[in-house]
Amino acid sequence: MKLVVCIKQVPMVSELPWDSKTRTLKRHLAEGMMNPACRHALEAALQLKRNDTEITVLTMGPPMAEEILREAIALGADRGLLMTDPRLAGADTFATSRALALAIRKYCQDFDLVLCGCQTSDSETAQVGPQLAEELDVPGVAYIEALSIDRSLLTVRRVCDNFLEELEMDLPALVTVSTRQFYPRYVHMAGIEDAFNRADIFKITADDLGLSPEQTGINSSPTRILTVFSPTAEKKNILLKGTPKKIVDQFLDAFDDKITSAIGKDLITRDHLSALKDAESGAGNSEG
Amino acid sequence: MKHKLVRKTVRSFAETELGPIAAEIDRDAIFPRDVVEKMRPLNFFGLQIPREYGGAQLDSISYAIVVEEISRVCAAMGLCITVHNSVGAYPIVKFGTAAQKRRFLPAMASGERIGAFCLTEANAGSDAGAVETQAVKENGKWVINGTKIFVTNGGVCGTALIFAAGVTKDSKKSTNVFVVEKETPGFSVGEREDLCGMRANPVSSLFLENCRLPDSHLLGQPGDGLKIGLVTLDTGRIGIAAQALGIAQAAYDAALNYAKERQQFQKPIASFQMVQSYLAEMATEIDAARLLLYRACAYKDNGRPFSGEAAMAKLFCSTVAGKVTGLAVQIHGGYGYSKEYDVERYFRDAKVTEIYEGTNEIQRMVIARAQLSQLK
Repeated sequence: MKLVVCIKQVPMVSELPWDSKTRTLKRHLAEGMMNPACRHALEAALQLKRNDTEITVLTMGPPMAEEILREAIALGADRGLLMTDPRLAGADTFATSRALALAIRKYCQDFDLVLCGCQTSDSETAQVGPQLAEELDVPGVAYIEALSIDRSLLTVRRVCDNFLEELEMDLPALVTVSTRQFYPRYVHMAGIEDAFNRADIFKITADDLGLSPEQTGINSSPTRILTVFSPTAEKKNILLKGTPKKIVDQFLDAFDDKITSAIGKDLITRDHLSALKDAESGAGNSEG
Repeated sequence: MKHKLVRKTVRSFAETELGPIAAEIDRDAIFPRDVVEKMRPLNFFGLQIPREYGGAQLDSISYAIVVEEISRVCAAMGLCITVHNSVGAYPIVKFGTAAQKRRFLPAMASGERIGAFCLTEANAGSDAGAVETQAVKENGKWVINGTKIFVTNGGVCGTALIFAAGVTKDSKKSTNVFVVEKETPGFSVGEREDLCGMRANPVSSLFLENCRLPDSHLLGQPGDGLKIGLVTLDTGRIGIAAQALGIAQAAYDAALNYAKERQQFQKPIASFQMVQSYLAEMATEIDAARLLLYRACAYKDNGRPFSGEAAMAKLFCSTVAGKVTGLAVQIHGGYGYSKEYDVERYFRDAKVTEIYEGTNEIQRMVIARAQLSQLK
């Protein structure tokens, strides 16, 4: 079985200087690390590994991103592909997933399953996985929490709007892996030594993928970031006065939406109840 | 890039697994066996042991980084790892026969057996030739009697290297080193020491009462003991230097953060020049210590003599650790003297790095000897 895990190097600190001219992060100022969610995707692949499994790790990034490929090899991946080219820099999720798809088609032919992290810690769009499934024209499921493969049938489970969903699809396919399961293992020291001394990283350029200047980097990225800001959180004490019934009504009127979105289901409020009563009395009338 | 990855990996492990418990296991003097179990599959007990015996066979800079990063979070466990690897297992790697390596190293590399180095006695330490533990040959077996004190990892060791005095064929006094396993009849562990720092490490006395061992447990040739001890301690000093550096780094990081947060006279204390002067000195000396340590490691990896360089690194790193942890307490003021803050622990842990694996006075002798021999 051939597995491809797409991973990304992200800055180690969350607060980084912002370049107001290019509207991108000044990534060179931070130490890089493997995106935390990508570790879960890699762990899912490692748990599927049998004797006949080949795990390819693929990343697009600056030359320093080689480090996370070596780390993945230290953890048990078999080979690393590094797409690195100044022409690929500045790609948005659309351009990234297109470039990844080209690389997978060319260098990972006959793949069975592509695994991605569910999102990155630096931009948190969660778009590359699903877009890559489209580009590769394979079935894709995001945020999976369990998976099993029986011949060419993939079964995955995920939590979706508080429901547990089990889905089946034919391979080849793509999944993005939730961070709620597949807790990543630690790298062992002998693995690091081997990953640097015994493994080669294969480098891929934009030319290798046949991408023209119009098809790369910022030119091919329709996304424009207008502004980036830190959301402000505010703590405020609100005093509700009146009879208990009035207080509860006031509370629900003010916070119904927020509670609903936090718990993921509708509250049964006064309006619902009166609507229900109307319906019941209506039903009673028709019977009578 | 490899060394950076080693550092990130070990830092992440140490902060996740040891960070939350470091203060507690220091306070209650607990050896964290569950963390040891997590360390074992990551090769922390076989850092420089060859692959054929189950080790990771790391280069010396990687080794120093592992010890530094563990010590940065929990010096007592950094001590466990460095003593096990550099003075517990390394002498067997360096001086053991093929049969001894096959017999003793795999269990040490996996961490199933933790190593200890037993030179110090009530009347022997810096004067290594003065050990009073006796090894006498009787009916083809060595019979060992004596008491070892201040044995790091003593309470949990599975394999101990015992230095014992003997007599050569021409009736001269000599020192031998034996590999003694804890199951050997007559081998027992004494009370755990109640120490100032490194309290999570079960430093104990060891007793040897008529322990009978065949020749296959003697390391090197009869009379090689002192030579083995000195060569081993050269490597051990790299580990202790790395440990001291880790403690110093932790203290500096804490002091820097505190100085930025702590307000006096409506300003962070980091805005005052006297505090800045402390921080500048601390940062500079830690950097110099690190470079001195990595030079000794590079010499060792390149097969160059490194005895003087390792002693310089140990002397300087431990002195810096003493100074930096003291200044970190000073910057924290009264809070730094309280167990509520980690710098109090760093301050206690740092002191012993100036004492063990050769006091800093002995390091000066080693450095002077290396310097003077170059003049010849």
